[in-house]
Order: sequence, then structure tokens, then C-alpha cells
Amino acid sequence: MTAKQKRGLFIASFILPTLVLYCIFTLYPIVKALYISLFDWSGSSENMDFVGLANFREMYADPIIYKSISNDYFLIFWKVIGIMIMAIFFAVALTRFKMRGANFYRVVFFFPNVLSIVVIAVLWRFIYNPSLGFLNGFLSFILNRKVEIPWLGDSQYSLWALLPPAIWSGIGFFMILMIAAIKSIPAALYESAEMDGARQWKQFTNITLPLIWEQVKVSVVLIVITSLNGSFAIVSVMTEGGPDNSTQVLGYYLYQMGFKQYHMGYASSIGVLILVLSLITTVILQRLMKREVVEVS
Amino acid sequence: MKFKEINPLTRWISTLLLLLWTVCCVYPLVFSLFDSLKDNQQFYNGKSWDLPNFPLLWSNFTYTWQKYHFGNYFMNTILVTTGSMLLALLLTATTAYILARYSFRGSSILYYLYLSALTIPTLMLVVPMFFLFSDLHVNNTYAGIIMLYSVTAVPMGMFILIGFFKTLPRELEESAVIDGASYYGVFFKIMLPLAMPGLITISIINVLSFWNEYQYALVLLSDALKYTLPVGLAFMQGEMQYRIEFGPLFAGLMISTIPILIIYVIFQRRINEGIVAGAIK
Repeated sequence: MTAKQKRGLFIASFILPTLVLYCIFTLYPIVKALYISLFDWSGSSENMDFVGLANFREMYADPIIYKSISNDYFLIFWKVIGIMIMAIFFAVALTRFKMRGANFYRVVFFFPNVLSIVVIAVLWRFIYNPSLGFLNGFLSFILNRKVEIPWLGDSQYSLWALLPPAIWSGIGFFMILMIAAIKSIPAALYESAEMDGARQWKQFTNITLPLIWEQVKVSVVLIVITSLNGSFAIVSVMTEGGPDNSTQVLGYYLYQMGFKQYHMGYASSIGVLILVLSLITTVILQRLMKREVVEVS
Repeated sequence: MKFKEINPLTRWISTLLLLLWTVCCVYPLVFSLFDSLKDNQQFYNGKSWDLPNFPLLWSNFTYTWQKYHFGNYFMNTILVTTGSMLLALLLTATTAYILARYSFRGSSILYYLYLSALTIPTLMLVVPMFFLFSDLHVNNTYAGIIMLYSVTAVPMGMFILIGFFKTLPRELEESAVIDGASYYGVFFKIMLPLAMPGLITISIINVLSFWNEYQYALVLLSDALKYTLPVGLAFMQGEMQYRIEFGPLFAGLMISTIPILIIYVIFQRRINEGIVAGAIK
């Protein structure tokens, strides 16, 4: 065996196991998802009817699809706002304000991120429990009268009620990214700003924010990508899309269609819709948030 | 130069908000622990933030462990998490090493191929995965789940490890080859030990996500005795419609949470580094 063959064999032996598994467990399922979306199929192989784009036409006429899309984007919008404002504020407080115990806060604020999304959902479902839960108990205590609002059972509140757990569980992770971004800003910039008499707020808007903008962009895209996916677990444990589809999201609708009602073809076409939406949203975000990168010499 | 002190009002408000959020992060876990030690009577009579009455009902934990099969779920989760962690480590390290140190035709295509997997919504893959698992005859097996989890962990881990391998000096490799080491010898005896900090970081990040994974486990494990903790807990929550047992439910929540929380607290610095390395740049 020549030296070149030896090298090639070595490379192949290191690359191929992963590549093979990747093809089986990622590439093939993507193609298969596109393929299944063209069929009317219950999941049992005998009756797999090719229907072309009929599933997509059906989606076009399905009001629950529109409800789900608007709910998904409602959650994404408020999650982005809530998570980013709080993550940036905490990061600034822990780095620029030189607060004592910064390390302690950093560790503790990450706790919710360590929990399984199911644990978070079970916990918050109890917090919202109309008669026994923490929230109504707390409100009763403050208002000094019995409050029994069915937070998850009333379509007036149900969608809003999904936001606190989603934001609560996301802040720590993005705070860590923001801390790293702020720490990489050269101290000299702040020093000369101080010399020019710029106050904290001015320093924040003129130095910190522009210089962490790239990371803010990355974070927003991350929240969006994981959101379309991640709302599924919270909805599946907390509300199952109800009441009256008020908390229905694409991910849970896909699961319901596929694994409760056995419309695998339709479920798969919802999957394709999720892929398309996340690609479009990412591209639009990149455009919207484009901004001159500030060069630091 | 010395920085000016920040405005006392700003400092005061910041401290207040930081303390408030600390309570928001810690308190739900504390009251879950309290609630896991109560009987139903205490739920109906008291407020949910009350301390549990004595005697503390530690029996809720054994009850959940046995009657609700959390013993099984716990062992299943340990098995799946450990298996996936080891396989993911092997797959990620070999791939990252080659991509960092060797150039060959198609290497950059491979890099972007793996990287693009980060943007694919996994829900889209749930339906085809269900059928893929039965086609491969791995449904309800840990082998199938372990392979799947490991592959999903490759892109992020690869990203972090390539950085580590690139910083290692090339002379080490060369002198080892002169001493007669094979390609494999160089990797396993020299490069892998040197990349240990990176390997530990990605392993811990992976353990966190494998332990908590829900979507795939929900769809791919239909045999109740094969459930992992998140699926088991969701199932138990569903059962509460017919039989309300809040104490045991919170005990289940604690069983799912405490081990991973301990791992986090021990290794938080490494997780921190991993997140930063993975998401920035």
C-alpha cells in the first residue's frame, strides 16, 4: 500500500461512519418528508395514494393552519423581545456595572435552561392551576379576595400564558452569549468615552449595542429557529393546542395530524411548511437586521 | 485610569432586578421540592407556597419510582444518555479531527453539509423518522435512539472541536510520525488527550440535551417501559386527569431534574465555554 493510499484509507475510516449515519438519520428523512407530503397516507403502507400538491391545497384552505402560523409568530415575536431585552440588561448589569456576585447570578440564571422542556411545562401548568396554583393563590393573597382565573382554559389568556415559561427558560442561555460579546469589546473604547464625559446610557447606545449587534442577530435567528420547533413540547404538555385551537402551533398540529389522526401525508406537508417558514424568516431577519459591522482596530 | 462609579440609582435598581430574577429562577425549583413532600390534603387546604407539613412524605418518591415506573425511566435515560454521549464523542472527534487537520477533495462541502443541519427543524423529520425506525427494525430500541441522538449532536460539537484541534501545534504530529506512530496512533495517543478539555465540554453539553430530549423520544418509543424521563413525566401529567396525585407528580419532576441540575452546577464553567465557542464565530 502506498503512503497516499494509507492516508486516504485513514481519512475514509474517520469520515465515513459519521457520514453514513448522517445520510441515514438526516438527509434521507428530509427527502422522505418531502416525498410523503405528496401522498394521502394513513401510515399503513397499503393505501398510499399519490395526490401531488393536494395536501398543500388543503393546507391553504385550512383555517387551523392560519391560526397556528399566527400563534407561532405571536410567540416568536414576544419571545424575541422579552428574551433579548432581559438578556442584554442582565449581561450589561453583570459586566459594565461591576455588580458583586456576578458569577453567582450567571450560574443561577441558567437554571431554567437546564430543565427539560417537559419539566418546565408541568411546573408552569401547576402555577396556572385555577384553584390550587401559585399564580391565582398569589393574586388572591394580594387582592385579598378569591381569584380563580383558568389561565390555560380560557382562550382569552391561554396563548399569553405560554409566554412566561418560554421566556423564563430562554434568558440564561442568551445572557451568556451577550456577556461574552460585551467582554470582547476593548476597554479602551469605554475609557475614551468616559474621558469625553459619556454617561452609562450613552456608552450603552454608542459602544455596547453597536458592537454586540452581530451577536444580537445570531441570537434572534437562534430564537426563531428553535421556536418553530420548540413550542411543540410546551403546547403538547400544557394545553394540547386548546382551548378551541387558541394555542395551536404548527408543530403540535403536525403531531396531532400524524400521530393522533393518522394523516401522515398532511402531517408531512405541515413539516415542509415549517421548513419553508423558518428559511424565509431567517432570510428576512438577516436582511432586516443588516447593519454596518463596526470595525475595532 | 479609574472608572467613574455608576449612578447609585442605576445600581440600586439593577441589584433589585437581579435579586428578583434570582428568586424567579430558584423559587419554582424550591417549591417543587416542597410540593413533592406533601399529600393531596395539603394541596387542597393550603397555599402552594406553604411549607410541607411534618412528617415529610419522602414516600412520594418511592411511590413514583415504583408505581409510576420512574425507576425504569431513570435507568432508560441513563442508558440512552451515556450511550449517545459516547457514540457522539467518537463520531464528532473523528470528523472534527479530519476536517481540522487534513484537506482533501470535498472537505469543505462536508463541513457545510453538517453545519446546515443546524437549521433543519427537527419536527419536520419526526414523521419520516417514525417510518425509518420501523424499516430499520429499531423502533422501541435504545440502539436506534442512540444513533439518532449522536448524529444530531455532531454539527454543534464539530464546530467546537475543530477550533480545539486547529490550535494544537503541528510539530507534535510530525515528531510522532518520525518516531514511527501510525495515523491512528497520532490521533488516539496524542491529539485526543490534548483535546480533552474540548471533548469534556461537548460531552457535558450533549448530556444536558440528551437527558432532556422529548420530541423524538415521544414519537419513537411507544413501549411504556422504554420511556425516558421526559416522556414518562409528560405521560404521568396526562394521567392526572383521572387520578390527581400532585405530590408524586412533583416527586417525578424532581427525579427528572436533580441529577442534571447537579451535573450543571459541577460543570457550569465548561458549559459556559461551550456555548460561547459554539455560537460565536
